[in-house]
Amino acid sequence: MTQRASKEEIIAAIKEVPLLSPSASQLLQLTAKADHELAEVIDIVKCDAALTAQVLKIVNSVAFGLVHEVTTIDRAVGYLGERVIAGIALEDSTGALFHKELHGYDGPKSELWNHDLRTAIASREIATYAKQPLNKDVAFTAGILHAVGKAVLSDFLTNSAQEVLSGIDADEVIDYLAGERELLGIDHTEAGYELAKNWELPEPLIAAIRYHHTPAAAPDEYKSLVYAVHLGCIVAMMCGSQASDSLQYHLDQNYAKYFDLSSEQLAMVMLEVNEAFDTLRNAMTDAEETN
Amino acid sequence: MSNLILGVGEFGASKTPGDIVKTFALGSCVAVILMCPKTRTVGMVHVALPESKINPEKVKTRPGYFADTGIPALLKKMSTMGCDPNGRGFIVKLAGGAKIMDPNNTFNIGKRNALSIKKVLWKYGLGSVAEDLGATYSRTVSVAVSTGEITLSSPGRGDWKL
Repeated sequence: MTQRASKEEIIAAIKEVPLLSPSASQLLQLTAKADHELAEVIDIVKCDAALTAQVLKIVNSVAFGLVHEVTTIDRAVGYLGERVIAGIALEDSTGALFHKELHGYDGPKSELWNHDLRTAIASREIATYAKQPLNKDVAFTAGILHAVGKAVLSDFLTNSAQEVLSGIDADEVIDYLAGERELLGIDHTEAGYELAKNWELPEPLIAAIRYHHTPAAAPDEYKSLVYAVHLGCIVAMMCGSQASDSLQYHLDQNYAKYFDLSSEQLAMVMLEVNEAFDTLRNAMTDAEETN
Repeated sequence: MSNLILGVGEFGASKTPGDIVKTFALGSCVAVILMCPKTRTVGMVHVALPESKINPEKVKTRPGYFADTGIPALLKKMSTMGCDPNGRGFIVKLAGGAKIMDPNNTFNIGKRNALSIKKVLWKYGLGSVAEDLGATYSRTVSVAVSTGEITLSSPGRGDWKL
């Protein structure tokens, strides 16, 4: 494989990515803390008129099928839950990044967001099978953000998918990450890590972004979370993905140290991923269409 | 002429020449394609999981989700279009059931989907004449109703016929 760009060029491109909106940034910081109140989440949303409008549109979309219209942000946040609120704020703040066509991975528009949303739901569900208590909301948010590095690398990987896949099939590289490193000197987890640092994301989210394909290398305090996202990403790919890197990563079997997950439970997780994904995506699409 | 797009756990059939029956991005899911030569009807179900016993409630809203309820539901649908209710004389083809790298038993749902589907088909005396199962890539499946030609595609791998 011939190198297409240098790591320095990628890092420079990451510095050009717009910062998160103040609301999204505050929500991510807040919801990553163990000790916070829902009222604090509500306060942040209330201070952002555009976000408030978007949250109300989503909660009242036909996808949720509520009988009575929700007119207050307190009720909307209570109904949707803080993880979904953080997801809405992120999409509002960085929609262009998550929804652009993934040329470098032969993926259509919104493929990254769809994969991230499935991963978020799967990570949240897998967190319920953790041997030690694991914050499901943080697992959801980490899932939303885990593959953000691909949005940056995609622009440098146009027309490379066939070459990377041939390299994997011929055992020249061990997985898609290694293919990215061959072509760019950096993979999407490291690119995501650099972006996450620029965005000043909380440490647990940075760890999930950096190590979701190599969870054994994560700091001990975040290993359980990172393994949840590792499995969530794999489940999302099993549920269907229209990108060239789908299923081109290894499963770290050591997840069993952190989760009790039978094949039947995994099937339940997949069921929930497909159901919740349809509901959330339809709600967000309905809201976009009325904007 | 139109596209009949099937999502996860959906099933459908068409006998309109020019129609395309299609499902996107099968990971561990399997597309069961049933073709009735007598009526020139093409049916497809996008099976996500092997057995309905994990969530009997779901069967009521989306029987196509599971191998053991999806195939009977598709046969019933096709019988309303003039096809044999037990699929007698049908041509069966299968695609999907991908695996991840280094799967363990828990994660090899694609293989379990394929096995469960074959078990259900055997009950009807049916077997697949062509299949593209397993491996580590996702598949999009399109079936042309006029010709019964099946095209598979995967990002970065182009397209090919089944």
